[in-house]
Amino acid sequence: MAKYIVVLLDEGRLKKLEGSGLEKQVEKLFGGALNAFNVELSDEDAQRILDEFATARVDSRGAITDVPVAFNRVVFEEIAKNKSLGPEVMQGVFARLAEIKEMAAKESEYLPPPEIEV
Amino acid sequence: MSIRIERPEPHGGRLIERVVTDPVAGKKLAKGAAAAFDIKPTVDEKGVPVRNVYREIMSVCYGFFSPVEGSMTEAELERVLKERRLLNEWIFPYPILFDVSEEDHKKLGVSSGDRLLLRLKGKPFAILDIEEIYRINPEEVATRTFGTPENNPEVVKEPFDKKHPGWVIYKSMNPVIYAGKYKIINEPKLKPPFDRFWYPPKKSREEFDKRGWRTVINHQTRNVPHVGHEHLMKNAAYTGDLEPCHGILVNAVIGVKRKGDYPDEAIVEGHEAVNLSGYIKPERHLVTILLWDMRYGNPLESLLHGIVRQNMGCTHHMFGRDHAAVGEYYDMYATQILWGKGIPSFGFDKPVNEVPYGLKIRPQNMAEFWYCPKCGEIAYSGNCNHKERQKFSGSFIRGMVSEGVFPPPVIFRPEVYKVAVKWWKVYGYPFVTPKYLMEREKELEVDLPDMDV
Repeated sequence: MAKYIVVLLDEGRLKKLEGSGLEKQVEKLFGGALNAFNVELSDEDAQRILDEFATARVDSRGAITDVPVAFNRVVFEEIAKNKSLGPEVMQGVFARLAEIKEMAAKESEYLPPPEIEV
Repeated sequence: MSIRIERPEPHGGRLIERVVTDPVAGKKLAKGAAAAFDIKPTVDEKGVPVRNVYREIMSVCYGFFSPVEGSMTEAELERVLKERRLLNEWIFPYPILFDVSEEDHKKLGVSSGDRLLLRLKGKPFAILDIEEIYRINPEEVATRTFGTPENNPEVVKEPFDKKHPGWVIYKSMNPVIYAGKYKIINEPKLKPPFDRFWYPPKKSREEFDKRGWRTVINHQTRNVPHVGHEHLMKNAAYTGDLEPCHGILVNAVIGVKRKGDYPDEAIVEGHEAVNLSGYIKPERHLVTILLWDMRYGNPLESLLHGIVRQNMGCTHHMFGRDHAAVGEYYDMYATQILWGKGIPSFGFDKPVNEVPYGLKIRPQNMAEFWYCPKCGEIAYSGNCNHKERQKFSGSFIRGMVSEGVFPPPVIFRPEVYKVAVKWWKVYGYPFVTPKYLMEREKELEVDLPDMDV
């Protein structure tokens, strides 16, 4: 089964992609309720992610999940920078592993809750 | 031939009730103790709590684990590990043990025939009448509890290791076991929000009577429910006899969970939000709890779930894919194999409700629900034949929550999501962390009245 990463796209992220040519690759999920990119991974890249992050796992869809939020954030930044969903995205992500792990350590005990009325 | 399904009797024939509700009688029992012991959590190699035996004592004494009455003897442990049966023949999946360290054993100086007073949060809680003292090799018990690919090739895919939270629980136990019956002598009070979900088997059966529920299907949970769970509950409940099941019982497992699961408070209130917000009528939906540090033992855990929910009075139990599982240690349909045809290497050459001294509760094995863009709705895998499937992956949803994306109502009901955020604001994190586990260990789910012994 091919493995991939799902990168969720909220309004802010979609705005950053305007004019990148990637708009056509946005997947509509759950009847258009969610927008996302599916970034396909080589076997080597998938394995490296699983090795680098102890919590990472492959779910029933073949998607790699349970990675730090910081990892997902950097994947999006590399997509926006490279204007691509190709292998250069993961090259850019792996080059920033130390930075991701530093951010991930900070988020392991605290994540800011969303500003919504409960 | 009647097709009406009646409520099954408890597993073992009668509900175990080992709770003394009269404080004077409780005090009298406590006074006969040879020694007193302050219950300590079982911790992993990093010192993080993975279990507190008080939850097992509660579940035994209030009858959830009927017919188990206490910590198992060496012969019973061996039989459970070999055949998943108690010495009285009734099937049971897991070792239930009261363990102490060599150091504590030396300090206590107790022997067979002695009564041990167990204190919780510094107050008298229960007694253990010691029948036998023996030693275990915790790692060996851990491995034998869950099985191995060599010994249980029908369902075990990978050797269990320290990434499996249930294996870690047994591996982290102390080597000295006190076997004997428990009795709660100072009845604990459940704390909010858990108090309103506390329905021990006797009370749940009374509640079913009050509600006129003859047929009840149970939904096992350790999750804040997403819409896929809601559809599982609603659709599985169409089973029944003359009509769909009268009631849907949600029985949430409360106790230590793996990092990344939701906090217990969010789980129970999230399920409650499903009925309070009208997605399932409160008259048909009851949220309850079981105190248990989850072992994540897929087919074995499903057997425990069947026992507990039969004891609570349910006629049916829904089982999905990867039931109570973590990782890929077991076949994803191991639970359905156990209930559908049996697992001989675990002692069951037939389904567990067709073997002698087996269960009476009926399994409702369900496959998957997903969102189908072509159907434009949440579809059942047995019906939908379209290629594009958007699955309710729990981990995908956790990722969405972590990123602070407000989930669309087709994934999470807004009222349910707000409950998750409410507890996120309390604990500073949407999911279980070591810090959460340590805070919870201090507080637990109960308080105890003063009892001067």
